Parts: sequence; C-alpha cells; structure tokens
Amino acid sequence: MKTILKIIELFKSFLLDIGELSLFAGRFFKEVFKSPSEYREFIRQCFYMGNRSLLLVTVTGFIIGLVFTLQSRPTLQEFGAVSWMPSMVSISIIREIGPIITALICAGRIGSGIGAELGSMRVTEQIDAMEVSGTNPFKYLVVTRILATTFMLPILVFFGDVIALYGSYLVENIKGNVSFLLYFNKVFEALEFGDLIPATIKTLFFGFAIGLVGCFKGYNCKKGTAGVGLAANSAVVFTSMLLFIIDFIAVFVTNIFYHL
Amino acid sequence: MEKTTSQKIRLGLFVIIGLLIFILAIYFIGDKEKMFGKTNHLKTTFNNVNGLQLGNSVRYSGISVGTVRGIEMINDTSIRVDMIIDKAIFPYIKKDAVATISSDGLVGNMIISIIPGKGNEPSVDPGDEISSNNRIRTEDMMNTLNETNKNAAKLTSNLLKITNEIIEGKGTLGLLLNDTLMSKDLRETMRYLKSTTKKTSETVTKIDQLVTSLDKSDNAIGVIKDPAVANKIKNMVTNLDQSTIELNKVISHLDATILNLKEGKGTINYLSNNPELVQKIDSTMTNINGASFKLNQNMEALKHNFLFRGYFKKQEKEKAKAAKK
Amino acid sequence: MMNLPKTVIEIKDLKKSYGANHVLNGFDMHLVEGENLVIMGKSGSGKSVMIKCLIGLEKPDSGVIMVMEKDISTLEREELDELRTEVGFLFQGSALYDSMTVRENLEFPLRRHTKKFGIIKDTTPLVMEALENVGLTHTLNLMPEELSGGMKRRIALARTLILQPKIILYDEPTTGLDPITAKEIILLMKSIQKKYNTSSIIITHDVDCARAISNKMILLVDGVNYAEGTFEELNTSKDPKIQAFFK
Repeated sequence: MKTILKIIELFKSFLLDIGELSLFAGRFFKEVFKSPSEYREFIRQCFYMGNRSLLLVTVTGFIIGLVFTLQSRPTLQEFGAVSWMPSMVSISIIREIGPIITALICAGRIGSGIGAELGSMRVTEQIDAMEVSGTNPFKYLVVTRILATTFMLPILVFFGDVIALYGSYLVENIKGNVSFLLYFNKVFEALEFGDLIPATIKTLFFGFAIGLVGCFKGYNCKKGTAGVGLAANSAVVFTSMLLFIIDFIAVFVTNIFYHL
Repeated sequence: MEKTTSQKIRLGLFVIIGLLIFILAIYFIGDKEKMFGKTNHLKTTFNNVNGLQLGNSVRYSGISVGTVRGIEMINDTSIRVDMIIDKAIFPYIKKDAVATISSDGLVGNMIISIIPGKGNEPSVDPGDEISSNNRIRTEDMMNTLNETNKNAAKLTSNLLKITNEIIEGKGTLGLLLNDTLMSKDLRETMRYLKSTTKKTSETVTKIDQLVTSLDKSDNAIGVIKDPAVANKIKNMVTNLDQSTIELNKVISHLDATILNLKEGKGTINYLSNNPELVQKIDSTMTNINGASFKLNQNMEALKHNFLFRGYFKKQEKEKAKAAKK
Repeated sequence: MMNLPKTVIEIKDLKKSYGANHVLNGFDMHLVEGENLVIMGKSGSGKSVMIKCLIGLEKPDSGVIMVMEKDISTLEREELDELRTEVGFLFQGSALYDSMTVRENLEFPLRRHTKKFGIIKDTTPLVMEALENVGLTHTLNLMPEELSGGMKRRIALARTLILQPKIILYDEPTTGLDPITAKEIILLMKSIQKKYNTSSIIITHDVDCARAISNKMILLVDGVNYAEGTFEELNTSKDPKIQAFFK
C-alpha cells in the first residue's frame, strides 16, 4: 500500500514537473517577442556556449566517426561493400548519430551548466537582485539562454558531423586507401537536402529542450546548495529523456514529409 | 495568476496526454502515407510476389511514383496487389502498361516497376487493373548468366585447344606452319612449281588474255567478272597448275632417278628406286597442294571479310604506290 | 500642529502563507519620509518575506501595500520597474552577479532605467560616484570573488545607490560580518542617509545595529507587529517577549 502511494506521489510530482515546465515554456514564448530584446546578452551566451562545447564536440565527433567506421567495416567487408562505407556513415551520422550524440553532450555540458548557474544565482538572490534593479531576469537570463542553445546546437551539430565524417575518412584512408576526394565525393553523392534539413530542424528542437530544461531547473531551484546540485543533475536527466522523445517524434514527422 | 499545484498537475497530465495523442496521430498519418489526396489506386495481379511487402515502392519508368498499399490472395494462384500512385502520373500510364516485380539492386527491397505501354492506348483511370508480367527472378537471372558463362568457358577452351594445336603443329594449318621437314619439302615443291610455272605460264597467259578479252568485250560474257566465276577460273588454273606440277614432279623424279642411277648414290638410289616411297611423297605433295589451295581460299575469304578489307585495301594501295614509283 | 511628514510606505493587514505555514498574519506598518525603521524578529518570523512582498518579489495572499502612494499589486510590470528605481534593496548575501566585474555589476541596474536618467552614454561618473560613497574605487575591475564579505556588502550598497533611490530596504545588512566591519557598514548607511535623504527599512536581529540607526522599531512576532516604538522605549519595556530581543 505504501509503495503504491509512493508511486502515485512520484507520478504526481512528475506531472507537476511537466505542468510547470509547460508553463515555463509558455512564459518563454510570451516573453521572447517582448521588447527590450537582450541582444547583447544573447550574443554573449551564444559565444559562450559554442566556445564551451566546441572542444568536447570535436573530440567526441571525431571518435564517434572513427569508431563507427571501424566497427561497421568488417560487416560491410563481408558483403564486399566497403565502397558503400562513405554513404552509409554519412547518412547515419548526418541523420541520427551526429545530432543525438552532440545534443546529449551539450545536455551534459551546457544544460547542467545552465542549471547550476541559474540555480546558484537563485540561491544567492542574484535573480531577485536583477528583478529589483528593474531588469526582467526571465528575459535577461532565461530567454537569452534558451535562444542561444536553440541556435547554437545546430551549428555545433553541423561541426560535429563534419568532424565525425573526417574521423571516418581517416579510417577509410588508412584501412582502405580511399582518397580524400573520393571519400567526400561519395559522401556528397549519398547526402540529400532531405537528410540535412530534417536533421537540422530536429537539432533546433534539441537545443530548445536543452536550454528550456536547464533554465527551468535552475530558475526554480530550491534554496540551499543542495538545490543547485539537484538542479544541475535533474536538468541533465530530464533533458536527455526529452531529447529521445523529441528524436522519436522527429522520426515520425520526417517520415511523413518524406512521403509527401 | 499564480497556478495552484493541482492546476499544474492537471496541466502536466494534459501535456502528456496531448503528446501521446500527437505521437499516435503522426504515427497513423505516417502509416497512411499518401493520405493527403494526391494519390489514386491502381491494381494488378501476380501469381508470385516474391516477397513484396506493404509499403514497397512503385516505379514507373524508374521514377518512384507510389507505394504498395495492399497484398491479398484472391484465389489459389493469384495475388492482387493494390498500389497508390501519384495522381500526376496517371495520364502517362497507358492501359497496356505492364507491372513487374523486381528487386532494387541485388540485395535491395522488392519493387513494382510499371513498364510503359506502347503509347496509343488511353490512360488508365483510378482503380483500374493493369496487366502484370511475372518477373524474372534473381535466381533465374543468375541461371541464365551461369549458362552464358558456361558457354563462354567452352568457347574459350576450344579456342585454347586450337591455338595450342597450331603451336604444337597439329592439324593441317599447324602442320603447314610448323613442320620443318615439311617446309623443306614445300620449298622443294616450290622449286618444282617454279619450273613448272615457267612451262605453264604460257598457258596461263593465254587464259589471261582470254579473260582480258572477255573483260573488254563486256557484253553478255561480262558476267564472268563476277568473283565467283573468276574464282572458278582460278580453280581451273590451279588445277592446271596441279596437274602440271604432278607431271613435272614425275619428270623431276625421273630426272633425279636417272641422276642417281648415273651417280650411283646409295640412299637416293634407294629412295628413287623405292616406288612406294615415291608414291607416298607424291600423295603428300598432293595433300600439301590441296592445303595450300584451301589456304588460298581462306585468304580470299579473308580479303572479302569486312574486318580485313581495310587492311588488304591498304596493302593494295601501297603496292600501287610502289608500282608508281 | 506641524506638517505631518509624507508617508512613503504603508502596509495594511498583510497575509502570506506557504502551504500550511502561515508566515504573515495581518502585518501593519507605515514608513514616513526620512525615517529609519528597524524591524526585528526571530529567524523565520517573516521579516524577509515581508520585505520581499514590499518590493514585489513575493505575492502576498491578501493585504494592501502602498509604496509611494501606489498599490504595487495593481501595477503593470513597467510601472513596477519604474517604482523599483525609487526603492533600493540590499540583499542579505550581497547578491553580486559573480559573472561580472564590479563595474559591470554597478552598470547593470542602469541599463534598463533610461526613463529616470535618459540614455547614459558614459556610465563612468555614476559608477565612480557610487564607489566613492562606499570608498571602494580601486575595486572597479575586480570580480566579486576577489572581494571580502564586507567589501561585497559595500559594493552591493553602491549598486543599490547608483539608481539614487528614495527608499532603501536593507535585508540584514550586518549579518555574517565581523563587528568592526558591521560598524563600518552602519556608519556607511548613516552617511548615505544623510547625503541622499533617504528613508530606510532595516531588517535585522543585531541590537547594536538597531540602536545605532533606528528612529522607530517594530518587533515582529508570529507574523504580526507585536510592539512598536523607539529603541529606548522597547529596550526599557517590561514585556518578557520584548526583553528577549535585547538580551
């Protein structure tokens, strides 16, 4: 009986979270078009986020490309289809692996960062101080950050994709003696705008989710230093879950558009 | 203004249910694919669909125009396949178009390809049934390929044998080309021939003259210019040659025998005095002659062969050039 | 009779509860121009909540709050922001923006208040003036983490002053500081009050601070104003509950 009650309570708090998040998102959309626009802070955040994640995205992208190619090479070799490697790798990286891996990394990097930053600002009353000094902290802190993640993530993903393809090329070059020109010719032959555009739109949503959840958790942080840690932690967990849900939906939506 | 906790919970519930409905909706939309009214149905019947599945694409002259929407057995041998096809394509599909099932690459999915009709028929209407052609299966294709391969292998092995024989000197041609002894004999024969030619040249010249005169008086007998007739004449000449040769040979043999007799040399004596051997040599010679004649014929045939015509023409031209000089 | 001084803040029957926890149960007060009102109370007696309601950071459940003759619960965001330039707030933990330098911290409130100051091309004179008031001009380009607790508090005060408010709310200005630094802060508060003729509400449980600065005091017990009066009046009171504060 107790466990059932606990589960119900857990479910309730989950629903509460979702409800609050929805309100938060609603507030974001209400405030995003209101003047004054915090343009400079937005640019600063974009720069900051891109800068903070670039190295991580580069390294992971490179390794993913490398490992992915190494792992799938034997199978393709069995079929004598190693020449399909560039097209296979490029399509799976551009369509799926690049966006989701980069988004997960950014959720860990940027999302938790936002959660902790806003959380500590909330705890030390900096958000209240902004409010009192006549600046709308929601606009200044939340809107700019959500917009920054929304627009920076596609760029990071694109960058990660390119690095991953380069990693894959290196394997092909070393193991299969494929030239740079041939490899990228094949890559571009395999890719269509139909691959790139839905993937890019998807990453916009990924970026939005990362920013939204990070800000939500940080902005509504509970008092105390433990609250900051919790905010950062739950931001990452919640974002990762949300990313997969978005990805799942994106596949269906993309399929509809492919068949139109 | 401020939402209470229960309001927030209800909102959360609403959002989750809304999300689920949204996912379901797009799933069904995705499933129904061409449901946005831009498509129409077309049917066809196969007796074997070779693993065709719902959602496989339909191609018309190689353009992807639709998908397979339904596969159902209508009796024990036939399967009705229902396709949805882009409306814009319908005017181009004629009533005599034929549907076949093929595979998209060797390991790819099955596809239905609609092969355009001859073009004079009216276009199909939505819901029409078009005829089908049971496709050549990959295995069949493979079998045919296999057969062809086998034939090719046989052919090459034969060729190999022939060339080998030529090299090893078997067969008439090979014998001719390779046998040194024979070539010696041949040389000898040539010598005979030379001398004989001298004797027969007169006759040949005469025939030549006859031919030229025929050429000149090109009327009724102008037909003789026909290569076949010319060949016959050549034959005649050759035969004449042959007989002369034989005659000549006998004469020379006689000469030789006389000479041997005169000089009293052992072997040759024996040789010349052995009528059997002489006869054998004689028959060999005949054979050779026959062979060279055949070779000649072959060469002639080659000359007429379009492949070599250019080469021979070139040679002739060069000869003409040399003659001019 | 003398002209009564203008009332700048008036609170009537303020109630606020978090769930079942009733923090404020009908709090009343008023603040007149030029007055230093000290509100004392135990931790959790609702002092901070009251002061946050006053500036619109928290929404009261019921009650009227009039600031400069405006009911803040009816104000639109823009009007509220405008009003907030007249009401400075010094936070308990200083609340300096730690991603910004001292200079940026001081400039931050200026960015949005173009109505009061016009468009400011060069903020340097204002920033320097504010820093001079607290005697920390040399910290201009330092980051908050490089400052000591007392310096932070002073910078925070400078940040509050930069908007030239008419009312300043101090949320425990001396808490967490050593007695000497606390004294410095109190002196600073006094000098600022003289210089700019501000009215203040000071929340504290530091008796020295209350003695040094108060014109009037309110004791907050269980969400209501238990006693009112000057420091001397309350200090000499026989009520044991009041006496407990001054021991």
